[in-house]
Amino acid sequence: MKKFWALFFWFWPLVALWLCAVAPANNWWFPSPPLSTLGHQIDGLFYLILIIVTVTFVGTQFALGYALWKGAVKEPSGKAWFSHGSHKLEIIWTIVPAFILVFISLTQLDVLAEIRVLSNFPKEARNAPVAEVMARQFEWRIRYPKPGTQLMTEPRPGDLYYVNEVHVPATQPTMINLRTQDVQHAFFVPRLRVKQDAVPGLIIPVWFEIEKAGEYELLCAELCGWGHYKMKARIIAETPEQVQAYLARLEQEQNDDGVADEQSSQ
Amino acid sequence: MSRVSGLTTLSIAGLLLTAAGCSDFQSSFAPSKRTLALIPEAQSGVGTTPGVTPLVDEKFGNPQHLKAWKKLPVEWGGVTSSVAEYVAGDKPVIRLTADETTPFPVRAGRLVLTSGDGAGKSYEISDWNAEKGEATLASAPEVAPAAGDNCTLDPGNLLQSGRVLYMRHCSHCHGTAGDGNGPTAQYLYPRPRDYRNGIFKFTSTIDSSRATRDDLLRVLKYGIPGTYMPSFLLMKDEELEALVEYVRFLAMRGEYEQKLVSELAADFSSKALETRLQSESRQDIVQELADFLKDDMPETAETAGDELAETWTTAEAEESKVVPSVPRVPDSPESRRRGRELYLGKALNCANCHGIDGAGNGPQTIAFEKNPLTDELYPEAGLHDIWGNLNQPRNLQTGIFRGGRRPIDVFNRIYAGIKGSSMPAFKNTPHEDIWHVVNYVLSLQFESETGAVGEAPAETVAAAAADSQN
Repeated sequence: MKKFWALFFWFWPLVALWLCAVAPANNWWFPSPPLSTLGHQIDGLFYLILIIVTVTFVGTQFALGYALWKGAVKEPSGKAWFSHGSHKLEIIWTIVPAFILVFISLTQLDVLAEIRVLSNFPKEARNAPVAEVMARQFEWRIRYPKPGTQLMTEPRPGDLYYVNEVHVPATQPTMINLRTQDVQHAFFVPRLRVKQDAVPGLIIPVWFEIEKAGEYELLCAELCGWGHYKMKARIIAETPEQVQAYLARLEQEQNDDGVADEQSSQ
Repeated sequence: MSRVSGLTTLSIAGLLLTAAGCSDFQSSFAPSKRTLALIPEAQSGVGTTPGVTPLVDEKFGNPQHLKAWKKLPVEWGGVTSSVAEYVAGDKPVIRLTADETTPFPVRAGRLVLTSGDGAGKSYEISDWNAEKGEATLASAPEVAPAAGDNCTLDPGNLLQSGRVLYMRHCSHCHGTAGDGNGPTAQYLYPRPRDYRNGIFKFTSTIDSSRATRDDLLRVLKYGIPGTYMPSFLLMKDEELEALVEYVRFLAMRGEYEQKLVSELAADFSSKALETRLQSESRQDIVQELADFLKDDMPETAETAGDELAETWTTAEAEESKVVPSVPRVPDSPESRRRGRELYLGKALNCANCHGIDGAGNGPQTIAFEKNPLTDELYPEAGLHDIWGNLNQPRNLQTGIFRGGRRPIDVFNRIYAGIKGSSMPAFKNTPHEDIWHVVNYVLSLQFESETGAVGEAPAETVAAAAADSQN
């Protein structure tokens, strides 16, 4: 029975390793490879931390099992080693994790700065947000600047509006301004690995460079009320020309006076 | 201690309730308040003669078993075809005639014969071959279908899928019957729409007309900014189509109920009964009701159905659509100034409700209004809609346009009014003038100060402001 506990604690890290090994093949992993430039770096950090915690978990579990096993096979005679208050041990288990944590925090600084700090954004994206994404219970309202103008904080005449669908250029750094009209929401595009809270009163710049044209799911990742589950939109990444054409269509539709429409359909 | 046992009792009761709820829950279309104001006999009927509730259920069914009243202009769904061959046997098979224009549906669960000797018979399909159009029936038909008999596959499936989607996405606010009284409704301002009177606010049709399918689709797709109605843009087209039909079905159901109640409300409401009992006996009144329900009601009900069919069909017709006779007047400071004059002028008098600066704070917003249903003043000041809710005029400075921000949307709001609200239809105003007002209203959001239309010089602005204050 004594040996059982040693085997018990050795067993679980093996299960964890096996799960990690078979997960990708069974689609228990990420929804897709990262499809934005930042996504690769974010995934890189994720894997780095995954490896560190795996080594730590497996190592400590095996050490625990080893201690139990030694105790199990030991003759029940003689004195036990009293380890409580061992300075040497305490220094080791303080320094090693501290070193790991400092290492992690320093390693991720660059990526964090690239994601969050406006002055580190790619220049072409930083100066020209393509749209304002306004979260509200329970939808995403989009405002594009009037074609040929800059997006301003306050709505300007000629701005174009849509809901639950954002058209952005692919394969180039793109920035949006994230806002919320009511409570906290979060702008989450799983396949791009982009996730940013929208906070009342703040305009938060978010940038990404989508590597492949296509449709991306945009979800709210902050429980925002009873309709949270409805808060789904799509990001459509296409060529800059296609985005321009889309905005031109949108502009035409938004200026619809119900007369031109009639004439063109006749 | 007692608190703990209280909690235990509560949780046991909760568990029991949950178990009971799971076993045999039947949802129902709740009767309207006006129906409930009738005497019980008028609601449920006298003897075997049906009252309002059974009459409505007869035509529309209940949420579990919807009924299609063929008279109504609703797309019920289903694919029509005809029998090409019937093979009797252990597993009876009906082969359907192929039609090049409409392919067979991918799935089919039921086949209903609509002509021939077995007309009206409905059969469960146990196996469906979509390529060949072969339906294997679960049981042998009593009357063998003949080649050439017409049939429908899955009749009503569009309405049924509409109901499923409605119950999932809409009913928690709009209620099972479309009464705008679902569980979340009480937390919302403005209140979710109760469409049992057939009225939808934001339409593209003239003021006397109902909403079109496209109007409802637009609201579903783009939501109503400034309210809790969210956008359902990401739903598939066929899902949206099913929802629109189901909402129209509910609206017609509610309207039908209202029409029947209107026939009885004057003489057979609980309130009327009180007065009548002073000179008549209850027995006589019930007898009169029974006679009315028996002799007049069937015809009245049919007429009500015909009216419904007509109004909802007319709504889709070309002549119901608002089409401005002139294109939008180009937006310019002059046009906006003209718009502002009209806005403040006696004829349109927009400022009376929307305020001189468009902030939705006109004098009407602090006046007490009379409730047309009860003839009493509302307890709170301000404008009310036909649903009895406080419905203050829009603040036009926010840049939020509930019915849409396209010029044609704003034109529609002015020309046809906002149905069910205090916003009247200005249908006698020249279209050009309406466009001036549209230009002014769309510019209000960007005004630096009241009346500062576009590039107006500073003194004009000051003068206009002084004018409007006088």
